[in-house]
Amino acid sequence: MNDRATHSSRFGAWLDHHGYSIVASLGRLLRKPWATLLTIGVMAVALALPLGLWVVLGNMARLGGEVRESREIAVFLKQDVGAAPARALADALRARGDVAHVELVTPAQALEQLRARPDLAEAIDALGADAAQAALPSVLRVTPRGDELLLADSLKTLPEAERVQHDAVWRKRLDAWLRFGGRAVLVLAALLGLGALLVVGNTVRLDIQSRREEIGVLQLLGASDGFVRRPFLYLGAWYGLAAGALALAVLTAAWLALRQPLADLSAEYGSSFALRGLDPLPAACVLVGAGLLGWLGAGLVTGHYLRQTRPTET
Amino acid sequence: MTVLRFDNVSKQYPGGHAALADVSFSVAAGEMLFITGHSGAGKSTLLKLIQLAERPSRGAVLFSERNLLKVRGGRIAHHRRNVGVVYQNHQLLMDRSVAENVALPLVLRGMRRGEIGKRVRSILDRLGLAPRERALPSQLSAGEQQRVGIARAVIAEPAMLVADEPTGNLDPTLSAEIMALFASLPERGTSVLVASHDLGLVKRMRKRVLVLDHGQLVDDISPEDLADE
Repeated sequence: MNDRATHSSRFGAWLDHHGYSIVASLGRLLRKPWATLLTIGVMAVALALPLGLWVVLGNMARLGGEVRESREIAVFLKQDVGAAPARALADALRARGDVAHVELVTPAQALEQLRARPDLAEAIDALGADAAQAALPSVLRVTPRGDELLLADSLKTLPEAERVQHDAVWRKRLDAWLRFGGRAVLVLAALLGLGALLVVGNTVRLDIQSRREEIGVLQLLGASDGFVRRPFLYLGAWYGLAAGALALAVLTAAWLALRQPLADLSAEYGSSFALRGLDPLPAACVLVGAGLLGWLGAGLVTGHYLRQTRPTET
Repeated sequence: MTVLRFDNVSKQYPGGHAALADVSFSVAAGEMLFITGHSGAGKSTLLKLIQLAERPSRGAVLFSERNLLKVRGGRIAHHRRNVGVVYQNHQLLMDRSVAENVALPLVLRGMRRGEIGKRVRSILDRLGLAPRERALPSQLSAGEQQRVGIARAVIAEPAMLVADEPTGNLDPTLSAEIMALFASLPERGTSVLVASHDLGLVKRMRKRVLVLDHGQLVDDISPEDLADE
């Protein structure tokens, strides 16, 4: 019973000290607002840069997805395929499950489209409309549903098809750029995260230096390493949390500033693409991660200091 | 029962300076004694070895029969909780009140707030500091600050109290008061070791005196011998 009471008492005191450390470390931050703001600002920039890039990449991936979805496969039919077989082929393709939409462009329609371009109109007139139309094949514009690569391969096997145009290289290049961008963001995040860690570490180191005497007294009174370390760990965590919150605020401000102009730009191209900011779950992860980063930086520096204060042996 | 024993202890600092050389003595539980000698004689080093702020280069320091060389890691903090320390310059935490300073050793022992409050009030009452409970150290006189330092050192009833020049900055009346306070501690089972170079004060107290000179223990004078001198 006594043991239980003692453990309960120690646990209560441990909780008391955590509460004290949380409040006291926050108080230390607020007592030096200018220095605190500078530290948090530097950390926030270090966090906001990779985060911003990550958000931009996410939006690019979405945009790339939309563009990919809207891409068509052009099937140029052989010259000897007449209008009726071309319509029959279009109907047959519309019935397929992997095809979302098929548009038949006849040689006459193609000629009209070419004539609409001022730079080609004169050339067509010089060539003669009949000759130009005779040189143009019927084209099927096929919008895929599902895997477009498989569909393109399948369309190439059609006996009526002269050539199938599908820019798979473009897609591969975009994917490669997105993968490279993702990796670059990771590297940048690691480097700047390390920078944020060092900023917290250095700030906590300076705080430790200014409180050396106090720490020395506490140690001689019998303070454990945990007791000494705790307020600095919370100090680091506060720095991290505040920097994470500021980084999120900067990103939100940038999102608000860019959202409407980009929507207007997209609308000009007939797209409903909208810039997306950070979702709540990733934002919460950023906050927790930044807090842990601060905690880790403070822990490393405090641990190093405590090792230095061990009794010397000669 | 012996609370502290030095067995042929030597301490050499990097650079070759020998602060203590082959020092041996023991302190019984509930005993009060002085250690004296000129500046640089090794008094502070000896106190640091007791607090485990330093380790000996040779020999052994035994505290309550435990060899302090074997005390490592987290056990160092536990050992220090058994040694109350009073400094010449008080070493109070200036941003904490008198009561908070005095409460520290109990907080470090994991005692709950209610019990800490009772004990702090009791010791502050005993030392005449109750009205200054909420004052900051900077608002106290030198004598009051020293009493706060003593209250902090004894509140957890450590096995031993070590004091490094505790009356160095105080007037003779206050010094006598503080020595009387130290002299009352052995009745409660606490051994007291006071480092002082004030020979007049040491003689007046009529307690055992260890004399250090250039790191060597050159004399161990009993209270009776001191009376004869």
